[in-house]
Amino acid sequence: MSRPIAWNVVVGILVGPALAPAASAGIKLITLPPRERVEIQLDNPQVTLVEEERIVPLTQGVNDVVFAWANTSIDRESIQLRCLSDPDAVKVLSVSYPPGENALTWQVASPKAGSARIRISYLIGQLDKSYAYQATASPDEKQLTLWQYVQLHNRSNEEFGMAGMWAGFGERFERPIGINETKKLLSARFANVPVQKVYLADLAAHGYLDAGKRQLRVPMSYRLKNDAAHGLGLFPLMFGKARIFQDDGQGMSAFLGEDWARFTPRDDEVDLFLGVARDIVVKRTIDRREQKRVLGNLYDYYVVVKYEIENFKDQPAVLDLAESLRALRSEIGINSDRDVEWELGDQGTLGKARMDVEKTTVDRVLFRVELPPRGPDDQAVKTTHTLHVRIRNEW
Amino acid sequence: MTRTMVMVLISTGLVRVAAASSNIDLSTIPPRDGVQLTIYNSEDLTLVRETRTVTFRKGMNPLQFSWANTLIDPSSVELRFRTNSDQLEVLDTTFPHDKPQMLYWNVQSELDGDAQVEVTYFTSGISWAADYVCTSDPQEERMRFEGFVRITNQSGEDYENAQVRMVVGTINLVEKVRELAQRGLIADADREAYERGRRPISQMVDAARRDLSMELKAGMAVAESAAAPKEIVKQGLSEYFLFTVEGTETIRHTWSKRMRLFQGLQVPFRIQYRFRPQEYGPQMVRMFLLRNDRESDLGTTPLPDGIVRLYRDNGRDGLSMLVQQGIRYVPIGQEIELNLGVDPEVIHEWVKLGSRRDNFWFRRHDVEVYYSPQQGHQVEIRDTVAGWDEHQSWVERIRNYRDKPVDVEIRRRFEGDVLFCSGLAPTLYDYQSPQFAATVERGQKCDLAYDLTFRQGRNQKQNRVTLEER
Repeated sequence: MSRPIAWNVVVGILVGPALAPAASAGIKLITLPPRERVEIQLDNPQVTLVEEERIVPLTQGVNDVVFAWANTSIDRESIQLRCLSDPDAVKVLSVSYPPGENALTWQVASPKAGSARIRISYLIGQLDKSYAYQATASPDEKQLTLWQYVQLHNRSNEEFGMAGMWAGFGERFERPIGINETKKLLSARFANVPVQKVYLADLAAHGYLDAGKRQLRVPMSYRLKNDAAHGLGLFPLMFGKARIFQDDGQGMSAFLGEDWARFTPRDDEVDLFLGVARDIVVKRTIDRREQKRVLGNLYDYYVVVKYEIENFKDQPAVLDLAESLRALRSEIGINSDRDVEWELGDQGTLGKARMDVEKTTVDRVLFRVELPPRGPDDQAVKTTHTLHVRIRNEW
Repeated sequence: MTRTMVMVLISTGLVRVAAASSNIDLSTIPPRDGVQLTIYNSEDLTLVRETRTVTFRKGMNPLQFSWANTLIDPSSVELRFRTNSDQLEVLDTTFPHDKPQMLYWNVQSELDGDAQVEVTYFTSGISWAADYVCTSDPQEERMRFEGFVRITNQSGEDYENAQVRMVVGTINLVEKVRELAQRGLIADADREAYERGRRPISQMVDAARRDLSMELKAGMAVAESAAAPKEIVKQGLSEYFLFTVEGTETIRHTWSKRMRLFQGLQVPFRIQYRFRPQEYGPQMVRMFLLRNDRESDLGTTPLPDGIVRLYRDNGRDGLSMLVQQGIRYVPIGQEIELNLGVDPEVIHEWVKLGSRRDNFWFRRHDVEVYYSPQQGHQVEIRDTVAGWDEHQSWVERIRNYRDKPVDVEIRRRFEGDVLFCSGLAPTLYDYQSPQFAATVERGQKCDLAYDLTFRQGRNQKQNRVTLEER
């Protein structure tokens, strides 16, 4: 059912030759050309640009075109007028701003009488957008279908009628936007997106699940890569909430969890933390701490970190093991603000050769270990890894 | 409309200073023939020059000038005769004690007829500001650059059909015109110092007066053009720059008016990504760099301080808002820097890959003597570390997800005695800040690697960065 559109933004043409200044005239006859087209540009993360077109009747000579608004937060400094139908002939001579009013008057010169299509653009507040994602993973969690939504929130107190919207990527939408409405629009759907299930054991970042048993908290994430090879890569994925479901294989789905998806440029990857894995148990202990004097009060420390890992799932898994060297140094009782000078020994299973060079920094070393599934007897295979670290030149 | 500024020719005969004391006056009110505003943007100051035609009779002619509810500096009001100046003379000027916004001139006339007089004064409450609208093409190679000026009148007086001039530059004022206007005439004791301090302005006023005379000779009252935006003539004026709006404008009290100052239709620009924490904060920002010169379709005028609104043609029959920011005065020939902020498609990380220490020096217990094993010295068990070199390996990791190569420039400041070793062909911006540049191809990741050696403790001999090629 249609209803009257409440416009708080009005464009008026004063009939007759321009009065200078127009608003000082006591008796005015004004024509009010309606909007012919509205485009809402949502591509700037901070501000929203509205472009509206109207067909205005111009007389030959100078015309006063009045733009007025009420109860809506238009940035008056940003308002521009351009003539689309005859930009070379129809010129804006000047703009006058009456006192105490949300209005302005353009003095527009036209070489002949007739209609002109003009476009008025301005920044408006309280008209913003957000992004949301929904995904349904396949039963084997190898791939998922991803839906991306743009949510337009119109609290600008202006009704735009049928308006085009563009978020800076993807397709343009055309929908009516009412006052105080939120519009959720499906902007993209990606099917068969490969997903990698990632487990992470990182004491410094995620702490213990059971400190007494030295059992680490192991978050599980879905990792998506925003490129063509992984079914995405058409445009950057914007920041927004992602809700992940899983197809239960019986025509229904179960909610796995949700996370904020960070802005992900093309070719970059995003991890969506869904929940804590309870079937992958990682116990971490420091097996050895030994200090050796180098010279004077200068010492080296030899530390062995042991990880006992069990995968109670019936599927193999890949676990990222991260160790913060700074936290490790603190853990063995050395308090220092200096960088940790460290090197890995080759006596352990986690040596230089297994280090993820791309993601290792001066403070954090990362390994990737593969975990076998539980056996046919339902018993998990315990995998033990050791990390030999020499912390050098401390005093 | 309320006219608050009035000039009155008093016709009570033998009235001199005591004119106001007469109980019965007959007055004529000569209207303005023309008015010119010269508005300064660095101070709340406008020089108003108005001309009126006054009919004099032979003998003494008292003239009253009043400016109720305006912001005029009374000490600045002057009367000159534009015609018949050899027959007219101001004998004295009186500021009556009981009428704060009024003065009288006693004019001795040998003329019996009309003469054109000019009244000049300073007022506050009229201001102007520049702003700019830039629209880049979809390829981000050229832009349309439009400059505007906006005049705002809060002076208490309507100025109709005024010639408007605007001055860009920073002038010196020893007292604010608004304060003078509100205080009234300054004390006699202060007058001399005040006048002395105002000399630079007086000189400017004289210069402006000469300019005006030339314009008048050239025919000042240009009819308003109805077909095109008014031309704004730009010219240098000592350390300042003067914009003169073609024809006349009406600017009423509390209104403001915006006009186009200039436009460049095809202004080339380049894009550079800069990491300069001292200037732009701790992030890599995207810059549009253009030059205010004729080669760039600009350069007709310095750009006064103002807000820039930068849009891009989004290639879909619409605009994208890129940024709005203030710019400071840009002289002709200087580069204009527009900071678009962080670009989420060009990602910059500063990653420390390694750290190690060597070149240790030890201090002997309780003795001011230092030993180094590298020098073959024997170090004892109670010796303590007193100096060392700390070596750090860093990369500036840049990932370019845009569909074009990007130019990046990185400038960092390091405290201490630092050796900067790299193959990046760095230069020193200052004694603590190496800088270097690179191009990152589209869709590529680039690691700009360098090593830093910080000489610590007693090893530190300097507080500066030295460069070493790798």
